[in-house]
Amino acid sequence: MAASSRRDGGAAGRAKAERSAWVLLTPMCLLMAVAFILPVGLFLLYSFYRFRGGRLEETFTLETYWRFMTDELYLITIYDTLQLAVLATLLCLVISYPLAYAMWRMRSPGLQKLIAFIVFAPVLVSVVVRSYGWTVVLADQGPVNFILTRLGLTSGPVSLVYNMTGTVISLAHVFLPFVVFPILASMLRLDPTLREAAEDLGASWWKTFRSITLPLTLPGVVAGAQICFTLSLGSFVTPAILGGGRVLVLPIQIYTATSDINWPVAAVGGLCLLVMAFIAVVAFGRLSQYSEAV
Amino acid sequence: MAARIARAGRLPAWRHLALGIFTVAAVVFILAPLVIVILTSFSAQSYAIFPPEGYSLRWYANLAAQTTFYVAALRSLILALVATAASLVIGTMTAYALVRYRPRGHSALKAIFLSPVVLPKMVLGVAVFMLVIKIGFYGSSWNLVLTHTLICVPFVIAIVAASLANFDWSLQEAALDLGSKPLPTFLKVILPQISVSVFISGLLAFVTSFDQVETTMFLMRPGESTLPIEMFLYLQRWQDPTIAALSSVLIVFAIFLLVMTSLVLGRRKITTLQTSAEPQP
Repeated sequence: MAASSRRDGGAAGRAKAERSAWVLLTPMCLLMAVAFILPVGLFLLYSFYRFRGGRLEETFTLETYWRFMTDELYLITIYDTLQLAVLATLLCLVISYPLAYAMWRMRSPGLQKLIAFIVFAPVLVSVVVRSYGWTVVLADQGPVNFILTRLGLTSGPVSLVYNMTGTVISLAHVFLPFVVFPILASMLRLDPTLREAAEDLGASWWKTFRSITLPLTLPGVVAGAQICFTLSLGSFVTPAILGGGRVLVLPIQIYTATSDINWPVAAVGGLCLLVMAFIAVVAFGRLSQYSEAV
Repeated sequence: MAARIARAGRLPAWRHLALGIFTVAAVVFILAPLVIVILTSFSAQSYAIFPPEGYSLRWYANLAAQTTFYVAALRSLILALVATAASLVIGTMTAYALVRYRPRGHSALKAIFLSPVVLPKMVLGVAVFMLVIKIGFYGSSWNLVLTHTLICVPFVIAIVAASLANFDWSLQEAALDLGSKPLPTFLKVILPQISVSVFISGLLAFVTSFDQVETTMFLMRPGESTLPIEMFLYLQRWQDPTIAALSSVLIVFAIFLLVMTSLVLGRRKITTLQTSAEPQP
C-alpha cells in the first residue's frame, strides 16, 4: 500500500480511498441485503411460528423447536445428516491424501497435469448426472456387483444403492476435487530440504513421512475436510437420488416440509443445518490453528 | 544429482508400485460414473444392466423427441450466462475495493461477503421462496438471477482478490499519472494481468449456476424448470437410459469446456488450479 499513500498522502487521502471503496462495494452490499439478509431473516422468523391443522399460524411460539428436540423422527434426521457428512468426509480423505501424495511425487509434469485435469473434470459435470452414474455403477446388475460375483466374492448382489453406502460413495466422489487440491497445495508448499535432511540423516521413509510430511500437510487436510463436511451437510441431490428414501437428511426434510406448506418445520430444520455448519466452521478453524502450530 | 539418483535407488520399488496402483484405482473411481453413463446411453434395454445386452441409438432418438429438455437447457444457459456476467462484474468490483483501498474492517467484510458459501443452498432457496411469496414477487426471473448471482459471487471475490493481492500497482499509478481515466486504466492495465483468475472464477460461476438444483427448485413456476431440475424430476419418475443419453451430451459439453480451459491456461502450472477450489469461509 506504499503506492497509494504516495499518491493520496495523509488523512485526506485515506478518507478518499475509503469513499472509493464504498462506492465499489455498493452493488455487493445491495445484493447481500436483498438476496441474503432479508430472506434468511424472514426464514428465521418463521421458525417461531407454528403449523396446526394444515394451516400456518403467525403467532410467536417455541412449539416447533420443542417438537424438533423431542420428536424421534427429527432426531433421526439430524443423526443421519451428521453420519452422512462424517462418513463422506472420511472416505474423501482416505482417497484424496494418497492421491495427492502420488501426484506430488510424480516425476513427469505432464502426467501430473493430466491427473490434475482428471480430478478437476467432474466439477464441470452436473451433480445430477454424477449421482445418476453412481446408481448405475452400484446397481444390483451394475458393473461393481458383476465383478464381485464373477470373482466369487459374493453369492448374490450386494445392495449398494438406495441406502447410506451408495450415498456416501457418491458424495465423496462429488467433493473429491475440493479435498485433493488443498492437500496437494500444502504438499507443494513443503520445503523439500526438510525431507532431504531427514533422509540424509538416515530416517526411514515411514519416519520421514510421520514426523515431517504428515504434520506439515495437516493444514491442507483440515481445509479439505472442512469444505467436504460443510458441503455434505447441505447436500440434497445425491441423497435424494441415491438414498431411495432411506437416507433421511435435513435438506430432504426441509424440501418435504416446504412442499407441505409446513414452513415453521422447514425453518427450524434449516436453522439446525445452519447451526451445524457454523459449529463445523468454528471447530475446523480451531483444528487448523492447532495443525499449523504442530 | 548423484545423491538424488542414489536416494532414488534406495527407495523400495513396492511403495512406488502401490502408489501407482492406488492412482490408477482413484482415476477409475473418478471416471467410472461418467464412463458407465456413456456406455448405458447406447444400451438396447430400457433398464441398466452390465454388461449391456446389445447396443442401439434409441435413447438418443427418444431424447431428440423430448422438447422440454431443449427449452430447459436454453433457460439454464441464459440464466447461467446472466448470473456469471453479474457475479463477475460485482465480484471484481468488490475484490478490487477490498484489496486496492483496504477500507476499515476489510478482512471482516471479505468474510461476510464469502459467507453465502457456508449457507446450505436448500436453506437459501427456501428462504428466498418464502420472501417472494410473502411480498408477492413469485415467478419473476429476478428471483433466480439474484440468488444465482449471490451463490456465484464468492468464487469471483475469493479468486480475483487472491490474484490482485500480488498485483504491481505502480503500473496503474503510471497510467493514471499519464492522464488515463480510471475505468480505461482498469480495463487496459489491470484486467489483462488478472484475466486468468477472472476466467477461472467465471467458469466456476457458470458451472455452479448451470448445475443449481436446490436454490432454483422452488423459485421456478411448474413447467418452467431449468435443465438439472428437469433431469432430477425425470429421474424420480423414470429410470430409462434417456437420462444417460442426455448426460452423455452434457459430458461432451463439459469436455468442450475443459479443452477451452486448458487452451486458455496454456502452459501455466497446475498451481493456478489450486486457488480454483471452493473459496474458504
